[in-house]
Amino acid sequence: MNALFSGLTHFQALALFSLVVSATFAFLSKREAVERAKYFAWAFLAFLLVAIGIGWLMYPFSQ
Amino acid sequence: MRTMDVNEAVNQERSTGSSALGIGAAVAGWAIPGLGHLLLRQWGKALVYFLCVGGLACAGLAMRGGVFGGNSPDMFDRLGFFADLGTGGFYFLAHTLQSAGPDVAHASGDYGTRMFATAGMLNLLTVLEAYEIGRGRRA
Repeated sequence: MNALFSGLTHFQALALFSLVVSATFAFLSKREAVERAKYFAWAFLAFLLVAIGIGWLMYPFSQ
Repeated sequence: MRTMDVNEAVNQERSTGSSALGIGAAVAGWAIPGLGHLLLRQWGKALVYFLCVGGLACAGLAMRGGVFGGNSPDMFDRLGFFADLGTGGFYFLAHTLQSAGPDVAHASGDYGTRMFATAGMLNLLTVLEAYEIGRGRRA
């Protein structure tokens, strides 16, 4: 298991984190299956987009 | 009439819970993620919470993330300790599960540290929910 997870790229680690946190939040905050699915999809995409956006904003400062 | 029905339903829902059940579910949920909901017969939530919290904690350990100890003088390390402690049983099994030890010099180890702490915080949220359900304040 160590080899599987230690070899994750930055994006894969972000996707795993987003997936798990979004699923937990969806089950904590919504009661209906459809509402949960919508919330999960929205939160998952928002996690990815915001992280990638912040990454691009920080890119000029890394030079 | 409709308002009366809603109020009756709410009162009936509240009366089904008890303080002992809430505390029991919270302690069980802290020790093993999802167990509190399992005791409250919420099978789906129990499975999802166990897989999410347990999966994130195991991923964090497998990525060789650090686990904070409780005797650090640094305030942020102490906050990390409380976050890690939220994983319950996974915190006490961390050294067994992570045979290679932490390696936070690499990015994956640093991510692992955050993932393990996040698993603890998520579990604390599920524990609060289990407590509320046990008390009958939430369906």
